[in-house]
Amino acid sequence: MKITWNWLGEYVDLAGLTAEKVATDLTNAGIPVEWMQPLSGQVSDVVVGHVLAVEAHPNADRLRVCTVDVAKGDLLTIVCGAKNVAPEQKVPVAVDGAMLPDGKIKRSKLRGVESQGMICSASELGLDAKLLPKEQTQGIFVLPQDAPVGVSIVSYLGLDDMVMELELTPNRSDCLSLRGVAYEVAALYDRSVHMPDAIVKEPSGIGKLPLSVEVATERCSLYTAQVVSDLKLAASPLWMQMRLLAVGTRPINNLVDITNYVMYEWGQPLHAFDYDAIVDHTIVVRQAHATEKVTTLDGELREVPSSSILIADLHKALGLAGVMGGLNSEVTEHTRAVVIESAVFDPVTTRQTARQLALRSEASLRFEKGIDEDVTFQALARAAGLMETFAKGKVASGCIAKGTTISEQRQVKQVVVFVKHIQNLLGYAITQSEMLAVCKRLGFTVRIVSDEEFHVFVPSRRQDITIEADMAEEFARLVGYERIPVSVMRGQLTAGVLKPAQHLKRTLRNFLLDRGLHEVWTYSLTAPKVLDNVLIGEGHPAQKMGMLLNPLSEDRVGLRTLVLPSLLEVAEYNSNRGQKNIRIFEFATVFLPKQVPMLDQPVEVPHITGLLCGNAEPDGPHGDNRMIDFYDVSGLVHAVLREAGVAHGQISFARSKEPYYQVGQCAEIYSKNILVGSFGKINARVTERYDLQESFYFDLDFSVVQKLITSDLRVKELPKTPGAERDLALVVDRDLPVQQLLDAVNSSAGRELENVSVFDVYTGDKVGADRKSVALHLVFRADDRTLTDLEIAARVDTVLLLVKEKFGAHLRF
Amino acid sequence: MTKAFFIHVMEVSRVLERLQAMKDQALADLANKEDTVALEAWRVMYLGKKGELSTALRSMGSLSQEERPVVGQVVNDIRASLEQAFETQRSQVLQKAAKEEERRNQLDITLPGRTPFLGAEHPLQKVIRRIEDIFLGFGFTIEEGPHVETDYFNFEALNLPKGHPARDMQDTFYIHSELLMRTHTSPMQARTLLARQPELPVRIIVPGRVYRRDDDDATHSHEFTQMEGLVVDHGISMSDLKGVLLTFAKELFGEHQQIRLRPSFFPFTEPSAEMDVRCIYCGGEGCSTCKHTGWIEILGCGMVHPHVLEMGGYHEEGVTGFAFGMGMERIAMLLYGITDVRQFYMNDLRLLDQFTQIAR
Repeated sequence: MKITWNWLGEYVDLAGLTAEKVATDLTNAGIPVEWMQPLSGQVSDVVVGHVLAVEAHPNADRLRVCTVDVAKGDLLTIVCGAKNVAPEQKVPVAVDGAMLPDGKIKRSKLRGVESQGMICSASELGLDAKLLPKEQTQGIFVLPQDAPVGVSIVSYLGLDDMVMELELTPNRSDCLSLRGVAYEVAALYDRSVHMPDAIVKEPSGIGKLPLSVEVATERCSLYTAQVVSDLKLAASPLWMQMRLLAVGTRPINNLVDITNYVMYEWGQPLHAFDYDAIVDHTIVVRQAHATEKVTTLDGELREVPSSSILIADLHKALGLAGVMGGLNSEVTEHTRAVVIESAVFDPVTTRQTARQLALRSEASLRFEKGIDEDVTFQALARAAGLMETFAKGKVASGCIAKGTTISEQRQVKQVVVFVKHIQNLLGYAITQSEMLAVCKRLGFTVRIVSDEEFHVFVPSRRQDITIEADMAEEFARLVGYERIPVSVMRGQLTAGVLKPAQHLKRTLRNFLLDRGLHEVWTYSLTAPKVLDNVLIGEGHPAQKMGMLLNPLSEDRVGLRTLVLPSLLEVAEYNSNRGQKNIRIFEFATVFLPKQVPMLDQPVEVPHITGLLCGNAEPDGPHGDNRMIDFYDVSGLVHAVLREAGVAHGQISFARSKEPYYQVGQCAEIYSKNILVGSFGKINARVTERYDLQESFYFDLDFSVVQKLITSDLRVKELPKTPGAERDLALVVDRDLPVQQLLDAVNSSAGRELENVSVFDVYTGDKVGADRKSVALHLVFRADDRTLTDLEIAARVDTVLLLVKEKFGAHLRF
Repeated sequence: MTKAFFIHVMEVSRVLERLQAMKDQALADLANKEDTVALEAWRVMYLGKKGELSTALRSMGSLSQEERPVVGQVVNDIRASLEQAFETQRSQVLQKAAKEEERRNQLDITLPGRTPFLGAEHPLQKVIRRIEDIFLGFGFTIEEGPHVETDYFNFEALNLPKGHPARDMQDTFYIHSELLMRTHTSPMQARTLLARQPELPVRIIVPGRVYRRDDDDATHSHEFTQMEGLVVDHGISMSDLKGVLLTFAKELFGEHQQIRLRPSFFPFTEPSAEMDVRCIYCGGEGCSTCKHTGWIEILGCGMVHPHVLEMGGYHEEGVTGFAFGMGMERIAMLLYGITDVRQFYMNDLRLLDQFTQIAR
């Protein structure tokens, strides 16, 4: 919302104030002034001139030599290049030494003829060219014939004004008008507001024109209209055009300009219909029919949503209520009479219509936020009055008013205020008299009940105020938020601690950071097509994706079910920028719909995922570099689970069948038969698509991990007896999973086996093709005695017997 | 007799002479011995059991009773002086060898070591953790909520009924008319109140990802991160809000920080405010970052709207609360000088790497 300083001054006394001060104070009171700038740049010594004669330039076809009277000294000779300059015009003349926004004007010779100034175009005066009518942008600025010669153009056009842009919050729609801002300024400085007289006029008798109105929808609470006839369509007065220009509205003609001007003045959107376009002179306000179409003023044929309200006559729609008028009832040069509409349309309906048609107008902007029903009549009367004055019109009908609020007595809104409540809410001892003073400044009447209580009668322009807390804000903002002191919150002590899952998340994040993985954040929104990139086909659970109703780009149409594509994109991005060691992880959420299309909230599952490629250690001069391999990732995943407190013995592996892994080099991780996640080498077909070298991925379901954590510990007593160590190299089939061997050892070595671990695996000539040698390290210990060699040998024999029987294993010598 | 005596005298003097010559020879030899092996050979040669001195001693058998002590004394003196010379030489050689050894074992300490890979916490996570730690210290706990929300919790329970113009402040991704991507972390205010009512006090913060239907550019992101705060208790006032936020601002931005509240509007708070801190670049002098105002907007806040408390199940008179919400990207951009919001989701390792340079 833009306003100008001088325009504002018509309604509230600004004496003793500067625009800068008011802008600051409005901002601090919750009406932020986003910016403020002079209506035009610096303009001085530009006056209204009268073109007396125009002659051809002796040396240039395109130039003209004009004789101009500026009512000061001699007539001026001015060379002008504009085609539209003509005798008898009134024009802005920059005399010798004048300042214009683009620079200084000096007398100078143009092709041998001395020019004693410059005739200016509108944009040379600093006016917004894109809002000006075409004829005003293609040549000099032709002023009205009654422009007084010699008068400064700055005062004539009102250029010595400041434009302020207000950044209004949605609740302060009352300030979408000069009137509303005037009340706000009045409240700041304890002044009063004076709106122009606007009393509904009776028809003047001549050419009385009939009109009837029918309201056939509940979504229009008040509809008022009046006919004005004998109109003369012309340009509106220059001051009105200048003000509309200043607030960003294009001047069109006197009738349209007046409806816009009154809207800015009162906040009540108005519309003018061509009276003769209304069949039977009957206006019907009704809901749109199914598939009804309207051609709006901008020339677009639009299918109207059935929830919309239409203004119609008995045969056809005349406009979209509260949004835009129809082309068929537009004011034209043939218009002799208009119907001025001043009405109140349902905010929600107007908003829906404007949104669905993507047609936001100044009118819909106001209706959808709620307008002041108290000024509907006054705005109508004001517009009719201005049409009489500036379009030579005559009021030709009474004011016709229909709607639900006519029959019902509207109640003045009352808010009960308890002094104590306000004090408690704001946290300081603002007094009742301070509060009453604020009410007076706001123009709210009050009824004092006691020292502790009073009732505020809130005028309908302030629709945002309905409860006591709203009044608390009024008091706080007008007394000043800086008055609110700083206090220490009291009350029961609460322990600010992390929940176990939050703590675990931090632990694991730190663990991965310590292992040299960078944390990344990627988008949750994705598209099903990325699943193709990771070879996920029809029927895979990841295809069950929740989709957005109104996506903005084709890459972000649904909710991710798998994190891998996001990490691949990050890896690709960085690989393209020359990074060869990529080690990243993300705590990411995946969304698993309970059904597709998704009807209710999906299961949101937090995952810990990571992608690694490149060297196992950073490059260095020590010559021990090798590439990351499967077992690095396996070890890392193991360590993550250990860090989480998942007991080592609880973890088991199975081959993963996920299509995005390389067959034979990937695993699913289970704990007590619950799937915890997977890891492995990413399928080469996938890494090729992302232009990556050999890469590894891991993906753990954090919701499962957090259930597996152990946090209770009773320590074991330290052993008092020595342990005995034995190493066994067992030759087995190459395909035998080591885990099976370990399980066999664990089950057969007796309870004195403290630990068994693998310390070497050998394949090669010495054990024969299809065989491998697995070297195991066994530690035996009894709590109560030192085991003898004989006892240990017996246990080792049992082990050897079993593994021979089960796997055909024999000792390697 | 005389002849024999003469011969004998001659023999003694020759013996002594020979001994002296040997001593001179030995000392001259010793000076060349530069390593322990040569030294040992020298020692064996001159001082060993079969060495020259021992041989000299043994040859004293031909001397008379009177002569023996004389020659013996000389031999012992020579032995003592050779032994001393040997020790001196040996310790010199050892010292030199030790020095040499040291020199040979010296490493180039400027050669880079085997540094492990260093991981960097994501800047948004870093900011979240710092803020979480501040509020944990105040006795708040952390709540997290669903990204896919119902229209009810995202809007209605926050005093934003259908058709409310303030819904336009937040362009929304919908799944269907009643299900959407949360546009703010505020739904957790409503959810927490319903879950906890009538328990008091409620002191929570809610970090999390939110979604807006915006085209991505340097200042807009369709996904971003917010942190919500909510306190509900008996007699909570706006001055309490100011107290908590001032302490927070000092912790995050520095001991000398000041805050300023300006009236604003949020449907779920009343009164509402925007909070500014002193510009962290110019300290309040005025610069391009703060648009020459000296202040930077950090968060929105206010007293919990009575309708929100009511819908959350808190009906008791005198129970009030405050809430605040802030954008993590904005704060991270201010703290670390990041100028494009998309960088947080691009994850350029060259940017992330820089975060290994500051303490985690």
